Amino acid sequence: MRAELLTLALILGAFTWAFRFFPTRADLSAMKPDGMLSRFLAATGPAAIATLFVASVLPMVQGAVSLPMGVGTVAVIAVYAVSRSVVGATLAGSAGYGAAFAMIGA
Amino acid sequence: MSLHVPKSSFATGLVTALPIAMGYFPIAFSFGVAATRAGLTEVEAVGLSLIIYAGAAQFLALALITSGAPVLVAAFTLVAMNIRHVLYGPALMKRVGAGARRRYAWAWAFGLTDEVFGAALGALARGKVAFSEPFMFGLGLGAYAAWVSGTALGAFAGGAALEGWPVVDAALGFMLPALFLALLLSILSRAQLPAIAVAVLATVGVTLLWSGTAGILAGMVAGAVAGVLRFGGKRDAG
Repeated sequence: MRAELLTLALILGAFTWAFRFFPTRADLSAMKPDGMLSRFLAATGPAAIATLFVASVLPMVQGAVSLPMGVGTVAVIAVYAVSRSVVGATLAGSAGYGAAFAMIGA
Repeated sequence: MSLHVPKSSFATGLVTALPIAMGYFPIAFSFGVAATRAGLTEVEAVGLSLIIYAGAAQFLALALITSGAPVLVAAFTLVAMNIRHVLYGPALMKRVGAGARRRYAWAWAFGLTDEVFGAALGALARGKVAFSEPFMFGLGLGAYAAWVSGTALGAFAGGAALEGWPVVDAALGFMLPALFLALLLSILSRAQLPAIAVAVLATVGVTLLWSGTAGILAGMVAGAVAGVLRFGGKRDAG
């Protein structure tokens, strides 16, 4: 494994583990719900995910939203609305995209 | 409530993990294929899944690696993305109570992904299971095994594995945007809309004007700052 890749994996793996573990031990009851840190933590996740969604679809948008992308997006939203399952919605979106891709023979 | 349910076993955790494992496997397969396409070896692809174990971050890591982003810039971006996980531990502990045994949380918390957290919280809330550390190990291990084995299969199948299957290839290509959109929906709340809107605008603007990597950094930072400035007095409901 290349040193650069291993370094990235270890840094990210260590932080991810810390993010998952330490809060299970911490007493966050003293953290004010409307405090700066609380607001930052609340905003960081949605901002990051929204950013990454946009960054991942931008290369697919060539002037207009394609039919497969529209079908895939609607499938994700519809399945999530019904099931509240991230995994189910992801698979439905992928399947919807593939089905529309096959139909138009792109 | 789960108070009257006997503590759930490791096997119960494995059974609870089944739906997650069924979803993880194809996503991990597509990661393995994408990784080898991006020039990683099979060992490197599996190594990322073994060490990082965070799907969306792993896909983004590929994009950053292939775009030539410096390691520290890539690490900062990916760490910022995973910071949302700090909210899961307190939410889970609040559900099971402060007296719950968590001696081995340092080990089972490694597997506390978005979906494992959601499944644990959902099962506990429905009273189907009672919290125990063996249950958390079973739940986490079932999902982790599916993720790593799916990655391995995809990586060893190779980047050219899907050349004869253009529809499957296209479908897997949309897996990442679909995962991000589903994750966004899962944490969406009215209070977070300003942060999301600012993040979207900043990402699009900076990407078009400068570069994709700069757009990602700008989106995250601008969105988080907007959240700090605009969320005063509102609690996160996401």
